[in-house]
Amino acid sequence: MCSYHEQDRASMGERIALDLELVKGFRFFDPHIHMVSRTTDDYQAMADAGIVGLIEPAFWVGQPRTGIDTFRDYYSSLIGWERFRSSQFGIRHFCTIGLNSREANNEALAEQVMELLPFYIYKEGVVGIGEIGFDDQTAAEEKYYRLQLELAKEAGLPVQVHTPHRDKTRGTSRSMDIALEHGLDPKMVIIDHNTEETVKEVLDRGFWAAFTIYPFTKMGNERMVQLVKEYGPERIMVNSAADWGISDPLAVPKTAALMVKSGISRETIDLVCYGNAVTAFAQSGQLDEGMLAKEIQIDQAQKFEGNTVLRGGQQPRRDAGSIIIS
Amino acid sequence: MDVNTSSVATDDAIGKALKSHLNAPAWQWLSSQVGGLADNPTPGVIARVFTSLPRQLKSGDTPTAISLGEPYEGPGGLSLVVTEWSVVKLARVWLLTRIPKLDEAAYVRLIEQLFKYGEMEELVALYAALPVYHYPEAWRERCKEGIRSNIGSVRHTVIVNNPYPARFLDEESWNQMVLKAFFTDEDIAGITGLRQRNNLRLAQSLTDYAYERHAAQREINPMLWILVGPFIGERAFDLMSQLAIESRQPLERQAIAYAFAHSDYDPAQRYLKEHEVPASFSESRGTPWEAWEQ
Repeated sequence: MCSYHEQDRASMGERIALDLELVKGFRFFDPHIHMVSRTTDDYQAMADAGIVGLIEPAFWVGQPRTGIDTFRDYYSSLIGWERFRSSQFGIRHFCTIGLNSREANNEALAEQVMELLPFYIYKEGVVGIGEIGFDDQTAAEEKYYRLQLELAKEAGLPVQVHTPHRDKTRGTSRSMDIALEHGLDPKMVIIDHNTEETVKEVLDRGFWAAFTIYPFTKMGNERMVQLVKEYGPERIMVNSAADWGISDPLAVPKTAALMVKSGISRETIDLVCYGNAVTAFAQSGQLDEGMLAKEIQIDQAQKFEGNTVLRGGQQPRRDAGSIIIS
Repeated sequence: MDVNTSSVATDDAIGKALKSHLNAPAWQWLSSQVGGLADNPTPGVIARVFTSLPRQLKSGDTPTAISLGEPYEGPGGLSLVVTEWSVVKLARVWLLTRIPKLDEAAYVRLIEQLFKYGEMEELVALYAALPVYHYPEAWRERCKEGIRSNIGSVRHTVIVNNPYPARFLDEESWNQMVLKAFFTDEDIAGITGLRQRNNLRLAQSLTDYAYERHAAQREINPMLWILVGPFIGERAFDLMSQLAIESRQPLERQAIAYAFAHSDYDPAQRYLKEHEVPASFSESRGTPWEAWEQ
């Protein structure tokens, strides 16, 4: 979440109109996006822009949870309702399950959540433990980060690591130190929310480096283009982390479009906006290229709120430009 | 892993079908897990097998739709209706049929636990198995909960080709289910027990619904008039006689003619004579209500 003022406009650089023609025929995978906070308009726009799959990490939904039942219902929605909703727009929905760092600080509740996790992490479509890691970098956060690393190791699942906004560089180093201390293979760990300051160490130590393109508070995509020019595509992936804050569910295709305009090769774009994320999370055994290449089979029995969602391969569309609603 | 023992325990219609659709290692894993359930029906083991089925049964790229008719009758005398099920769904339901009859509290707790933590596909299998659980009467509330589901495939598996609701829901819940089925554009003719459970209150609610659809200039599912047919009164007749002429759906006009022809409501009979509706219009062959008369 972020706060900003109109004057921030000035720091946003030259405006380039959105032109998805630049990335026509591309396939995108957003490995970090919180769809529970997004609307059906977002799903439609994402599908139109070429997003074929996404990963929804379990996170903090804004309102702190006060009981275990709301955690359970949230996890269930990630493997149930939200997965279904996504499928209605032709987008494959995967998730990572974990106790986020912020709520790790409620220790009484965190204990109960830890008991709940094994019921979810072996489910179909659960591609990792996430997003876990540090926020305030408290002792409680460290405790539950470590416990969940052990869980990931036991289940053979990749880990999606959230790195803190504050004291980021140190927090990122520490997250990696601890993962190694627990014997995790760096290739099973995706370090998220990198910046120019953190990327080198992450790549040098053999971890995956994810970048969140998020207005005002995280990376801008012009910076991303520079980073890819400097480091190349290996083990780098882009995500939107779009959530309840001012964020952009089209961050991945938009960044790809900017890369096209900046002369970055198609092969590189495919890797950082699709292939690398798929490879990293395919290590869960719950996701593979073949799955994404297949169009979602729309079971004609799947109806949504009284609508046959797909009629002749098309979901019903509201006409946002018309004042008539029928 | 003793394959001989497990093959004895798994040699039924569903087991045979699964065997023919799975490769050897997957079948061996599944049959030994299911065969071993009777000896070790602990919630932990069942949950693990039930949850991890898709990982073990990766059946290649071609999705298989298996239809077996009614291959299994449950303890309450109801049968599974297997129409175009995936291998995983069939395997999951098969596993559920093999959970031994524990005492009622333990059995219900175990199955409810699976519901509580179920993901989408797991829920589909769990609801498909409603007719064949032990303690058949214990699942009424669960059945209603499934009908309330917002996930189409889950709702569908409770409503269509599932004999549980017709046998165990009270009239109010049954009517809710049928109304919901119309609202969600389900395959109405595929609802088990539609004719046996048809009733006046349902016909009245459906008539109200038809008026609402008509006012909104939305199409009306012709099957609605088949259900209203045996209970035609003045209110239903007014709209039906109007739509018998005006409806843009030929099938709706035909359904109304059929309903009139089989009604003992005098104005309906008079209507057929006065408008010289051909008798062929009231035949049901080739229509969605073909099975209605059986």
